[in-house]
Amino acid sequence: MLLKNTYNELIKILSKPRSYLGLGALTILIGIIIFAMKADGESMVSFVTSSFEQTLSFNGKLVNGNLIAFIILQMLVVHIPLLIALVTGDLISGEAAMGTIRMLASKPISRTSIVLSKFFAGAIYTFVITIWLGILAVFVSHWVFGTGDLMVLNSDGLVILPESDILWRFGLAFCVAYLSLLTVATLSICLSAFAENSIGPIVATMAIIIIFTIIGSLDVSVFDSIKPYLFTTHMASWRSFFEQPVPFDEIMNSVVILLTHIVLLVGITIFKFNKKDITS
Amino acid sequence: MKKILLFSLFSLSFSAFGQKPEDIIDKINTKIAGAKDYTVNAHIDADIPMIQIMPSKAKIYFKQKDKFKIESKGISILPKQGFTELNVFLSDKSKYTAVFGDSLKIRDVDTRLINIIPNSSSGEIILAKIWVDQKNSVIMRSQVTTQSNGTVKTDFKYGNQLSYGLPSELKFEIDVKKFKMPKSVAADINKTSTDKKKTKSKPKSKGTITITLTDYAVNTGLSDSIFKDKKK
Repeated sequence: MLLKNTYNELIKILSKPRSYLGLGALTILIGIIIFAMKADGESMVSFVTSSFEQTLSFNGKLVNGNLIAFIILQMLVVHIPLLIALVTGDLISGEAAMGTIRMLASKPISRTSIVLSKFFAGAIYTFVITIWLGILAVFVSHWVFGTGDLMVLNSDGLVILPESDILWRFGLAFCVAYLSLLTVATLSICLSAFAENSIGPIVATMAIIIIFTIIGSLDVSVFDSIKPYLFTTHMASWRSFFEQPVPFDEIMNSVVILLTHIVLLVGITIFKFNKKDITS
Repeated sequence: MKKILLFSLFSLSFSAFGQKPEDIIDKINTKIAGAKDYTVNAHIDADIPMIQIMPSKAKIYFKQKDKFKIESKGISILPKQGFTELNVFLSDKSKYTAVFGDSLKIRDVDTRLINIIPNSSSGEIILAKIWVDQKNSVIMRSQVTTQSNGTVKTDFKYGNQLSYGLPSELKFEIDVKKFKMPKSVAADINKTSTDKKKTKSKPKSKGTITITLTDYAVNTGLSDSIFKDKKK
């Protein structure tokens, strides 16, 4: 029954035009980034390396598919949550707004299963978006720019990773990026259970992400105690796969915190939906 | 008798110290000029603060007087100066004044310091010091200070291409005090201030790049077209 209902939820997602908005927006955005990097990628890279190039010379193909994929992933993981929330924020509240929630709740399936099927459908949609991002970022970039060593800039300096040591990092980075996007999807589904219209949960999800991100980026010690528990702090942990050596302990910590958020948010959603008054 | 004694003393001093620094540099130049072109495989190992890079392999092409090209499959880092600049500068005697300095033993080899002072203040090189193995007419160590790149110290080791004055290993020591990360692109939003404090250890001011050179192919008649940049 749960599987059947998940299938039904997926059909509902597929039947809404907004579901294709995310895929379309991703394709256009990545197309623009690839075009811009093809036209002027060298100068962007020289902006990063200019400080070093007074003393050192960098030889080899700096602008390559791996660098472009990394830049795309870095740019879009910040913006994709909106595209995800646009669909998942509507999963429960959309039913309430259209008045189909009563019909749904009267089906021979528990309310917990309804929430779980919506969660699974949202998770599949998020997975499709992440996979599409991966295909466009890695494969299209490689096709346009070719492969090469990856130069990553972080606050500690430059890390140059050999070409043979990159693909697995992208694979695992996409897994962690998926987990962080799934946290956003779960948050918006949870907020959706509290709302009667679609706009509220979508805007609230983005507002929470923005507020948490600002708290996380403020270099004020008073927030240091709460920062490790904000899911936004761990949304960029996919980046750690591009450090040398890879801080697996930190990544595992991020994965645990993101999974805790997902379980907690699904639990709250189930609790709220089971108590939800659908008669009024 | 006095005249004979004076002449003997003068002759003795001339034979001991008569070799001018320019003569030594001439010998070095002649030796290097023997290798009209060469290709060599390079193994580059860089230990530079703020840059993490695995050892890389490259192929170096050189043709007299200053044609230089490096080909690498991946990204490799080399010092901006150090391969050809010093030799090109030394080849034109009108550009500098050479003055002897101290003697120094470098890896059990007796060397003599020659200070190279440029005659013009507008050139890139401000001061160069070379420690020369006079027996083999090769540079064992150099320290070049330039207008834009700071000071680069290079240690030379020689192997089977000693007859051409071509090194088997170059160890560059470069100044990295000037390195600054562009903050706008380097921001890690998920790093707390305590994380940043944890990672902030005392920064090193020197970096080293060791280049091991193997499989020299000297005087094979390299074509000029090799050195032409391909359009990207």
